[in-house]
Amino acid sequence: MKLKRSVLLGALLAAAAFASAQQKVINVLLWDDPYPKALMAMLPEFEKATNIKVNIEMLQPPQVLTKTAVAVTPTSTDYDVVGIDEGNVPVFASLLLPFDQWPRGRVYPKTDPKSVTPKMLNIGTWNSVQLGIPINGNLYVWMTRKDLIENPTYKAQFKAKYGYDLGIPKTFKELLEMGTFFNENGIAAGFGPFNGGPAGVLSEAVFMWESHGTKFIDYTGGTFKVVLDEAKAIEGMEFYKKLMAISPKGAETMAHVERQAAFAADPKGVFSMFIWPAQIAAYEDPNKSLVAGKIAYSAPPAGPRGQAAITGAWAICIPKASKNPDAAAEFIYWWSSKAVADKLVQANTIPARTESLTNPAFVSSKPWLPALAASMNVAASRPRFKEIGQVQDVVKKYWIMGITGAMPTKDAVQAIVRETNDILKKAGY
Amino acid sequence: MRLATRKKIITAAVAVFALAVLAVELYPIAITLLNGFRRDIVILSGQKLSLKQFTGASYALVFENRQLMQAMRNSVVVGLLSTALSVGVGAMAAYGLTRFKFRGKNALAYSFLVFRMLPQMSLVVSLYLMFRTVGIRDTIFGITLAHSSFNVPYVIWMLIPFFTVVDKSYEEAAMVDGCSRWGMFRLIFLPLAAPGLVVAAVFAFINSWNEFLYALILTGVNARTAPVAISSLIGGDTLTWGQMCAASTVMLIPVFVFTIGMQKFLIRGVAAGGVKG
Amino acid sequence: MTFSRRRATSPSGNVASKSGTGGYGSPVPFLIPAFLIVFAVLIFPIVFSFVVSLFDWPLSAGGGARRFVGAGNYVELVKDKEFWNSLRLQLGFIFIAIPIEIALGLGAALLLNREFRGGRVVRALILLPVFFLPIVSGMTWRFMLQPRYGALNNFLLSLGAPEITWLGDPTFAYAAVIVQDVWRMWPFVFMLLYAGLVGIPADILEAAEIDGATSTKRLTKIILPLLYPTILTALLLRIIDALRVFSEVYVMTEGGPGMATTLFSLYTHRQAFGYMKVGMSSAMAIFLLAISILFAVTLVRKNMSLEKLEEQGENR
Repeated sequence: MKLKRSVLLGALLAAAAFASAQQKVINVLLWDDPYPKALMAMLPEFEKATNIKVNIEMLQPPQVLTKTAVAVTPTSTDYDVVGIDEGNVPVFASLLLPFDQWPRGRVYPKTDPKSVTPKMLNIGTWNSVQLGIPINGNLYVWMTRKDLIENPTYKAQFKAKYGYDLGIPKTFKELLEMGTFFNENGIAAGFGPFNGGPAGVLSEAVFMWESHGTKFIDYTGGTFKVVLDEAKAIEGMEFYKKLMAISPKGAETMAHVERQAAFAADPKGVFSMFIWPAQIAAYEDPNKSLVAGKIAYSAPPAGPRGQAAITGAWAICIPKASKNPDAAAEFIYWWSSKAVADKLVQANTIPARTESLTNPAFVSSKPWLPALAASMNVAASRPRFKEIGQVQDVVKKYWIMGITGAMPTKDAVQAIVRETNDILKKAGY
Repeated sequence: MRLATRKKIITAAVAVFALAVLAVELYPIAITLLNGFRRDIVILSGQKLSLKQFTGASYALVFENRQLMQAMRNSVVVGLLSTALSVGVGAMAAYGLTRFKFRGKNALAYSFLVFRMLPQMSLVVSLYLMFRTVGIRDTIFGITLAHSSFNVPYVIWMLIPFFTVVDKSYEEAAMVDGCSRWGMFRLIFLPLAAPGLVVAAVFAFINSWNEFLYALILTGVNARTAPVAISSLIGGDTLTWGQMCAASTVMLIPVFVFTIGMQKFLIRGVAAGGVKG
Repeated sequence: MTFSRRRATSPSGNVASKSGTGGYGSPVPFLIPAFLIVFAVLIFPIVFSFVVSLFDWPLSAGGGARRFVGAGNYVELVKDKEFWNSLRLQLGFIFIAIPIEIALGLGAALLLNREFRGGRVVRALILLPVFFLPIVSGMTWRFMLQPRYGALNNFLLSLGAPEITWLGDPTFAYAAVIVQDVWRMWPFVFMLLYAGLVGIPADILEAAEIDGATSTKRLTKIILPLLYPTILTALLLRIIDALRVFSEVYVMTEGGPGMATTLFSLYTHRQAFGYMKVGMSSAMAIFLLAISILFAVTLVRKNMSLEKLEEQGENR
């Protein structure tokens, strides 16, 4: 009896040891939004097919950056897979395993870079080395309140006053006039600015500047240079200042959460503004939004000298120090596969995979997909280099002073140029 | 008689005052508590409170969230362990500092204090490197130790005034009786400083319970504590307001119970009565 | 033996105080455990921090090579006007918030230091804000102050306050950060002082009352002197915590508008995790350490040396 029990116990232990020797465990660090959450729900499928256990740790984007910076070194890493947002790829480039060295998958075939949305592909690249697979198609998409622009009374009033049809704003001029119309008549706020974190404020600034025909920083002659055209930059800032005037109260501190509250939860709401597609799921969720199903999506309106949709995507990478590159690669191949991408699209998220985004089967029920495709045509990226953290702080500080009238826009633009130059100089560019 | 009436009036006035203070102090917490029972859209659209809005959906989501629940359990465990460790060790040190004469004791006491002043962010990187080398990163033990690092000095300084006021005649009597130093500490000082120990325990627990940065950097999926888990509900990008409120309300319950329990020891007389004989 | 009996048996209160038992036994066993913990997880990192402060040390190993720069980081700090600004804001925060907290905490402790029905629950409820997660507190205040739908904002409007984006205005944002801290932390002071009051033997107070001492006199002549060490402790602990205040301010304002609420601790954080300059943030920490030591050897030592505390205790 006793012998029998110990034999049984031994067998069990051996089986457990065998199983654990077989099962690989990988640790994954991702940002926290509906997209990785949707992925997490599908994990059992992957774990069953590969016998790889996946521990996903999700944190807010700044914390992902902090933890990656601390935990990934040339010789050690706590994570086998890390999500790196596009602006920080340069910082980590030397620590990441180049894509062409990723092992072949045993269950899932290696991701074909061609399947990745072309405009997104280069965000996973640094110094022309592909380091990771861009995983989400996150770039500015424009939202306009369909119920407002289709309202016959408003349409008639607007046409009578401005002489053209109310609709999705296609240019900055239309955006300003339509926004002013709704704001003046107390129907809705005209615009929803973003004045939250520095990375997002830099996006807004670059959006305005590109639309007015000037780049901010360029990589030319082997070095980074401020190429901002003062007159055009001031013009862009002045325009944003006008948009601020038709924005809801509290616009000067509006971050994502406040924008969502203003656009989707305020009975009056906001007429038109940009959105990161990663957040669309929340705006289309009736539990969080009064305007679910009432939003028209488009590419951002065009400025006087250009049109731009700012990108803000994540690349999925494998640290060189990972002890499980096989399992890590397998996980990424699964994630970027068509089958998973299709399911992610159906969960209202936006994988960076062209065929899923343009699949006609989804387009009818996901009106933002065509808008996303239109935005891709005018995609523009923020400058990327290691010191971007300091630069975006400078931009945020003076940009907000400029658009709120705390400082003349001319002085604000000059201060941005001056202090950015200081940072670049100190960094040795 | 007149004294009794006066006392009654004073007590009534104090009760009114206490209620007023409570109203102000609890207002934001009451909002949080109520919003845990309302849908995000109701909260954000600023609708007036009504019974019809009430739903347990956010709480259900919080309780279903396995990672969050594990983080709360971790928080309780780390909080209790770190409190026990730092109050035990800190009380001994406070005793050592106040009831002995030795050179450099002021310097030692101040160094405990001064080192506690450094912001965590300047220590966390080296702690991380150290923990990884030793192999206690992302373990309950590691984060307990990290929390004790700021709790021990805290407890020491919180207890110093409680130990200094104990009259020397006790010690002298005990010494005559042949009581050891350890015996004095246990039989005289711990009971006499009970209110201090209670307060120190409560605040050591809070410090650990609320701590964010060490938990963020030094833990991962295994030993993550609740503040880190809840911060993802606050969300940089999208809002899960109801869940955040529900989770923070749930977070308040254990500490509230802990405090009420601890207060039993805070009533006048218990401390002094403990050393009868 | 109780306090009251002790009073009765030794009215002078300090029998053979100077000889005492100080030389009896060794303090080492009592100090070793605390010293070990503090050494392992506090002093070692501080020494490490000091070493790092002499380097140009990127947070990420991918951020470039570590370079020895000697005092370079310190020189840069001294020249950095944001650094001085953050120090000024931090000190302002301490000098405004903490006196208010002490005053409120002391007042409430004196008033609530009596038994009444539900007293234990009231005292526990008052403490709830201290337990409120700082990040949640910051977020809640941010939303209460929101124009249009913020509850506190609407309340202020009904009192006739002008319509202001509170957190968008440098002065009001700074004030809001302070109010949030006072709201959350004065109950901490209350609790500590209350425990101190409980430790004062009731008979001392009763004796004074029977002697006909007025309540003001009782307060200034008896209670406050007896409570003095506890008040100082509360002050010290609050200062220490206020130096490290971070996550609530971070979620409330992110240090803005502009740099208006970028306290020293937030600026340290930004250097390390925003700009990834661990060398600079370590230099800031060491700078703070130097200030703290200065503060300890001047102010604290004068008012709170252990000998002085012991005298205080003996005079009871």
